[in-house]
Amino acid sequence: MLEQIKWLTKLELCNLYGLNTLRFSRDRKVRKRAVGMLAVWIVVLCLLVFYVGGLSYGLIFLGVEDVVLPYLIAISSLLIFVFGVLKAGDTIFRKEGYDIFCSLPVSKIAVALSRLFRMYVEDLLVGLMVLLPGIVVYAWKIRPAFSFYLTIFFGIWSVPLLPIVGACLIGTLIMGVTSRMRHKSLVATGLSILVVLMILYFSSRLAVIEDSFNPDVLRELSQFVFILLRKLYPPAVWLGTAMNHGDFLQTLFCSGISLMIFVGMAGLISHFFHQICRNLFSSFARHDYKLGEQKETPVLSALCIREFRRYFSSSIYVTNTIIGPIMGCVLSGALLFADVETLKEILPTFIRLESLIPFALAGTFCMMTTTATSISMEGKNWWIVQSLPLSIKTILDAKIGMNLLLLCPFYLLSELLMIFAIKPAISDLIWILLIPAIMILFSCVYGIAINLHFPVMEWESEVSIVKQSVSSILGGMGGFFLSMLCAVSVILTPEKYMNFLRAGICFVLLILTSFLYYGNNRKKSL
Amino acid sequence: MLRIEHFTKHYAGSKKGVTDLSLHIAPGDLYAFIGHNGAGKTTTLKCVAGIQDFDAGSIQIGGVDIQKTPIECKRQFAYIPDNPDLYEYLTGIQYLNFIADVFQVSARDRQEQIQKYGNAFEMIESLGDLISSYSHGMKQKLALLGALVHRPKLWLLDEPFVGLDPKASVLLKDIMRGVCRQGGAIFFSTHVLDVAEKLCNKVAIIKNGMLVASGSMEEITKREKSLESIFMEVVEDAGTDQMVDKIGTL
Repeated sequence: MLEQIKWLTKLELCNLYGLNTLRFSRDRKVRKRAVGMLAVWIVVLCLLVFYVGGLSYGLIFLGVEDVVLPYLIAISSLLIFVFGVLKAGDTIFRKEGYDIFCSLPVSKIAVALSRLFRMYVEDLLVGLMVLLPGIVVYAWKIRPAFSFYLTIFFGIWSVPLLPIVGACLIGTLIMGVTSRMRHKSLVATGLSILVVLMILYFSSRLAVIEDSFNPDVLRELSQFVFILLRKLYPPAVWLGTAMNHGDFLQTLFCSGISLMIFVGMAGLISHFFHQICRNLFSSFARHDYKLGEQKETPVLSALCIREFRRYFSSSIYVTNTIIGPIMGCVLSGALLFADVETLKEILPTFIRLESLIPFALAGTFCMMTTTATSISMEGKNWWIVQSLPLSIKTILDAKIGMNLLLLCPFYLLSELLMIFAIKPAISDLIWILLIPAIMILFSCVYGIAINLHFPVMEWESEVSIVKQSVSSILGGMGGFFLSMLCAVSVILTPEKYMNFLRAGICFVLLILTSFLYYGNNRKKSL
Repeated sequence: MLRIEHFTKHYAGSKKGVTDLSLHIAPGDLYAFIGHNGAGKTTTLKCVAGIQDFDAGSIQIGGVDIQKTPIECKRQFAYIPDNPDLYEYLTGIQYLNFIADVFQVSARDRQEQIQKYGNAFEMIESLGDLISSYSHGMKQKLALLGALVHRPKLWLLDEPFVGLDPKASVLLKDIMRGVCRQGGAIFFSTHVLDVAEKLCNKVAIIKNGMLVASGSMEEITKREKSLESIFMEVVEDAGTDQMVDKIGTL
């Protein structure tokens, strides 16, 4: 069994992030993609180093160095948990390779465990990316004793264990519950979105200071952060404090407990693995179709309908792209119930809420567009549209059209709620309506451009496309940075020039959108 | 119907590919394309179908160049790959309607075709099910129905008999003969030499990306040898060449 787990895990890991394909492929496109992926990861890493390093430095500067490690452990754990919930089901109960392994003299438990180990390795890398810059800054500024490094070495590997346990249990539960349903993908999608929204809701609730909270504690910032972290994720405080103090025994104890819980969860998943897979991969076939009257549909509509069907067939695709628009509606809804006047008073005098709102709203919509991965998601089916009499423009228009139609109800709802919430003047109302609409259009076209440059048509799991591909990362980063850039320019611009700024942003975005749109359609082949 | 002139396609960093291949497929031709694994059959078919670009030469379908006016070309043919990866998230009927919509087939016409061939392939009752629930053979049949629904003039088929049950195989052969009788043309790759010999009027043999023989079945098999023995001679020649190459490098 151990031998099986060993070589299955090796098999799972050998093509992690497409490394094996890169190693053996002689295709220039594959190499170009790999270089693009590497560049993106370097940028992400630099941003993380900048953000985490800066955060750690700031905390040390404020004299609350004790907080650094627990805080970073909590952040990385929350990241691993939230993304884990979205990907756990698809990673562990992946169909690809399951049939082959089932026909081999391989234990199904070994298959389940190898997939869990793959998830662990991926999440450990995420954890290290968050933790290491902070640890380096901490070591540089504090100069801790040797025991600190020893506890880091023996404790850091255990950071992802508990978040993975939580994510896997929720992911498995969702898969288990939905596996017997006819519309399993749709139900799993709904449940995943619900869980993520609940996590976001409760984590935001925890950050709210309770009425009974003693304001004197605020004077001790360190104590305050510890209280928050204890409410959010106590193991981060236990492990972080043990590492801070170089307490080797406590670190081993925390790591050991995490490992035991992880092993217990692995046993539980292994036990139900085959049953869930069997139910998930069994298909409902009625064999009772009677051919009725058929209808004609215009070509673009037929393509759009197919795009929608593709979209809603993948729970990971939906959950990753729909959270942003839902957050946009939540933001508008929250403002409807919040005291807007007090909010305006809290903001610095040079920032008008009405000026900032369109960009904040647009940011939620542009965080992850469906178009950024819509070409890659065609995968092995790509030959169909390639061999059909369809122009590149028609194929791409359908993908953009689907994204716009998907966002349309969220846009309308959030705008409606926002208008009721902040009751803007006519001059602000136009921008509140116009800016998010233009930014949505830009992000859809930009998504296509990115995916055309970095398409991945050969993949094993949708997770690798939706969460780990160059185009998904660049698509998400593009929307995020664009809204950040706009928000910063709004903050820096005096109010009397605000209309010029907003008009300028709209104009530039429209020009960029047109440029990208015509560039995409000018491609000779896809 | 299909004119391939000096077609050349090579993959960057790989020895595989096709070099200077020329073939003419006339209306009414049932043209078999045979060769060993990796000889370049699928590459040729994919390039003819406009799925892959190529380095040199030209491919014309009905007098129209695939590189210059791909959409007009693609209206004239149906391509079915060796492993039909169809949209698993659609039902069979949704897939057929999608194809019919793209080819702008009238509602009445598509209904007639689906009824006729769906019954023949015993697929009608399964058309309401998701394609993900289909077996390999059923997917192959659905891909064939997708081609039949828009009545193409040219059929490009990559290993069309793989996965089909005997009844469906016989039916497909009948359909192929029918298409060619009505002035259409079929260009298909196969490893089943017996089928190629009995079914086709023309054959092309490709070896390591080079066309080694092509013409009417009668011409190719004129020495009273079966297609199988001729093919084996070609393959053995390839083996000998490779041996000579190897010995040369020692």
